[in-house]
Amino acid sequence: MPIATASAVDVLVQATTDVFETMIFRSIAAQAPIWGHDTRPHSQIVGTVGFTGSSSGYVSFHASLEAARDVTAAMLGMGDNPDDVVVDAIGEVANMIAGAFRTRMARPDDVWAITVPTLTVGSDFYIKPITEADRAIVGFTMDAHQLFVELIITPARVAD
Amino acid sequence: MRFLIVDDSSTMRRIIINTLTKLGYQAFIEAGNGREALEKLGAGPVDLVITDWNMPEMDGLDFVRSLRSTSHGKNVPVLMVTTNAANADVAEAIKAGVNNYVVKPFTADTLKEKILAVSPQQV
Repeated sequence: MPIATASAVDVLVQATTDVFETMIFRSIAAQAPIWGHDTRPHSQIVGTVGFTGSSSGYVSFHASLEAARDVTAAMLGMGDNPDDVVVDAIGEVANMIAGAFRTRMARPDDVWAITVPTLTVGSDFYIKPITEADRAIVGFTMDAHQLFVELIITPARVAD
Repeated sequence: MRFLIVDDSSTMRRIIINTLTKLGYQAFIEAGNGREALEKLGAGPVDLVITDWNMPEMDGLDFVRSLRSTSHGKNVPVLMVTTNAANADVAEAIKAGVNNYVVKPFTADTLKEKILAVSPQQV
């Protein structure tokens, strides 16, 4: 994979870890990135945030429904029934991860922007970029749960 | 100390209120966008406003500009909590009338530090 993309994945792992430790109060352990477009994480809720700067693409946070409930309960200090807010909460997790990623990637001469989050709820679906882009999936373990963060990123634009 | 929390995400409003509660604060009003916040401010003053930037109907910058044009809102401390962390973003927010800036993700200590910075008499 391109070095720039590998570096962006490292940044995304740091951003994700920071969000979990700071806002969700849970430690997570990152696994090695999986490159390419064939891997499909098993998830039922996906929060996606687009970004643009010298590179563009999107960051997605994938969770099973059970994992999403636990993340929501931990983040909001709720009891056993966070179902009415779990979709909004996962959107906010994706927003914070993408925001932290954007903050780390931006430079004074390279302004990055992010979109509002979109949520996909369901199973057995696959999101495929229509442009040529690199893709990496990073798995994280949180207690007994498996979470995934996905990065789709175009090669960096070179100034004319 | 009475807070007005302005964010279109109910999740983020709850996170902020949970954090403030941990810090010992107890009085909160919530609004889902700038327009709703201005309406709620009409019902009575608050001691500090914590607002998001990106919201539907009226975003955080337009809300703060409107707030600063009112007699009861021109001096109330305003913290902006957002993922917009570029220097240009901060400068634009300060120009609109924001007193200080909190970048998500944030810790309770960071929020406390920012509250004390904009409202030092409210310990």
